[in-house]
Amino acid sequence: MNDLKIVLFICNWGPHAAFQMLQDSCRHMPHQVRMIRIPCSGRMSRALLFKAFETGADGVALVGCEPGSCRYGSGTGIAERNVQDTRGILELLGLGKDRLRLATFLPEQSEALLEFLQQFHADVERMGKSPVIPVPKTQPGESGRDLAARILTSHDIYACQDCGKCSSACPMSLCGKPFSPRAMAGSIIGGNIGSASVVSDVWSCLTCGICYDRCPSAVDFPRFIRDMRQVHRRAGTAGQEAHEGFFQALMRTMTSPDLDIRHWDWLPEDIQVDGQSKTLFFGGCAPYFDTFFGRTLGVKTCDILIDSLRLLNFFDIFPALLPGERCCGHDLLWTGDRDSFIRLARLNVDAIEERGIEEVVTSCPECYRTLAIDYPEHGIPISFKVTHIFDLAEKEIDKGAIGFEKLNRTLTFQDPCRLARLGGPGELPRKLISRLKPRGFEEMRDRGNSALCCGNCAWTGCDSYTKALQVKRLRQARETGSNLLVTACPKCQIHLRCAMEDPFLGDEIRMEMMDLTSIVARTIRWE
Amino acid sequence: MNRKTEPASPKEILITGFGGQGIVLAGQIVGKAASLLDKKESTLTQSYGPEARGGACSAQVIISDRTIHYPYVRRPDILVCMSQGGYDRFADTLKGDGTLIIDQDLVQPAAARGSGFFAIPATRIAEELGRRMMANIVILGFFTSVTEAVTADAMRRTVSESVPRGTGEANIGAFNKGYEFGLATLKGRQKKAEGKKGVR
Ligand code: SF4
Ligand code: SF4
Ligand code: SF4
Repeated sequence: MNDLKIVLFICNWGPHAAFQMLQDSCRHMPHQVRMIRIPCSGRMSRALLFKAFETGADGVALVGCEPGSCRYGSGTGIAERNVQDTRGILELLGLGKDRLRLATFLPEQSEALLEFLQQFHADVERMGKSPVIPVPKTQPGESGRDLAARILTSHDIYACQDCGKCSSACPMSLCGKPFSPRAMAGSIIGGNIGSASVVSDVWSCLTCGICYDRCPSAVDFPRFIRDMRQVHRRAGTAGQEAHEGFFQALMRTMTSPDLDIRHWDWLPEDIQVDGQSKTLFFGGCAPYFDTFFGRTLGVKTCDILIDSLRLLNFFDIFPALLPGERCCGHDLLWTGDRDSFIRLARLNVDAIEERGIEEVVTSCPECYRTLAIDYPEHGIPISFKVTHIFDLAEKEIDKGAIGFEKLNRTLTFQDPCRLARLGGPGELPRKLISRLKPRGFEEMRDRGNSALCCGNCAWTGCDSYTKALQVKRLRQARETGSNLLVTACPKCQIHLRCAMEDPFLGDEIRMEMMDLTSIVARTIRWE
Repeated sequence: MNRKTEPASPKEILITGFGGQGIVLAGQIVGKAASLLDKKESTLTQSYGPEARGGACSAQVIISDRTIHYPYVRRPDILVCMSQGGYDRFADTLKGDGTLIIDQDLVQPAAARGSGFFAIPATRIAEELGRRMMANIVILGFFTSVTEAVTADAMRRTVSESVPRGTGEANIGAFNKGYEFGLATLKGRQKKAEGKKGVR
């Protein structure tokens, strides 16, 4: 029965010599261990390490050179950090961090290497097979051309009057990228689906929705792009995934039904939840984001979840949580992996309905839109109501007897696209902000319907142009003279924080950020 | 439950404001709800002297479990003030442990008040709901939740029967808004008493 798959990534330099020694002397190694020779342990990114698990590995050992003996100097240190982050992710997924190990050996330590491999094999054997079922490659099925034709008609792209309003408003075009939604639509209508420029354009769009907002014929570019990505994914021309596709791989992994996900293990004890409640709080992927970006960007998006729950508790709402909550699937849907999206949606809806939940509350704009709009739109009806926490908070505060403590900051607000333009309660954030007691509130030049994107959507197409867009946005924020940039989406925080790391601009665009839910929760008071 | 309870002593209620605020209608609604639906005894007297047009006016309601022999309110248990004039004139008549309810945008109470003091921006809320005239109904909702002198059901039914045809839904909305505000106020007080000010 022993069909375990153990991958050994071994550095070409020190430890590979030790490994060869074992081979040369015909030492018995567990046959489940498959060796892959790599140039340096530091080159094994988190995405590469994780992809081994996505594709069915039961255990992964990364073996590098002893600290100080790295041929490139910093390899071992980088490997340590990458392994640590990836172990955090494995732990959240319930796979267990011990399925990934890092070890270092000198060329002459072949005995120690053998011992390590035997021990690791025994450990993995004890943990058993991984519950991850690799997602099969999508079958081509319908031809790309037919599918594209269907997508063109269903989104009525032919209604385009060639007026150019979309291209003149598109933030990608405006920050200098040779990119035009109108031209792209024209090419696709002309049957030019697979050309390099169309592929690149389809993967560059931010699906931010400004063009849709402006278009006199209501050509729905975001949905059109979303579906075109399906065509390209099937044709194998998916691309430009940020972080080497780490997040898409993570989300695809979550489609395995037998995972024992541990989404909420880290929750502080003072938060009151009630497993019997008919109201469920759906958190979203913040724990994964913090594990992945915590060290590099210092973002704490889990605070948004904690503050959301504290706010619910303040209103005497003690919600249920799904211990095995999965990603809502937003990013898979918007990067063309409809099949995996549907698998995730099913798993989530089944888990929610099994508990007899009547209302799902969420503070993530993407989860909100995905659950409320995209699940039903993709043939997964929901029997519960989906409420954005802003909506709930506004109703509770409006009942009266609630006020806010003074906040000695001047605020400005970054609209998340999924609230401002694509299906969310667009006006609510400002209503809530008007209830707060900050020193001031200054709007950015582009706001509300016209707000600029934080620079990325669904972890695809991050490049120097999107960076330019982010810098432009942060300059707008700084121009307001405000000293606190209020966000309402965990990803806005991540992408904007990332842009602030620019070593050349640095202080010029740096700004403190805080989620609106956190500000509300931290200043709300009974009167 | 067979326990013999001492019938609650009569509750004397005084609602004051200026002409045009619907003070008398408010008094009528309270009295009707108490007598016709809550099955208690109640009386209503109203006064608006020469000052009737825009001047001070008041409605006096008594609710009791027994027959009421004297229908005038001398020392109210509950004083509802929708104008500064009404407040200035009647504040001193309120019983020591009585309940004072004001429209906080229209009345400045003389001194800080204790647990029997309740304030609501009734007129502002009514304006937000689209009809300033409904301030009396908002304050009735508030009155109902903070005093429990009449039941909410009886009040809602009486409100919809007493307001002009076609405005029933809006007025019930106004009543509920005031009622919720009262519940929220009570909840806020309880939370503060438990030492919980904010989220922690
Ligand atoms: S705004 Fe609409 S109609 Fe105008 S070019 Fe763009 S897609 Fe066509
Ligand atoms: S969705 Fe946004 S990025 Fe994409 S074409 Fe429209 S405006 Fe440009
Ligand atoms: S902006 Fe930064 S965090 Fe966002 S996708 Fe690009 S590299 Fe990743």
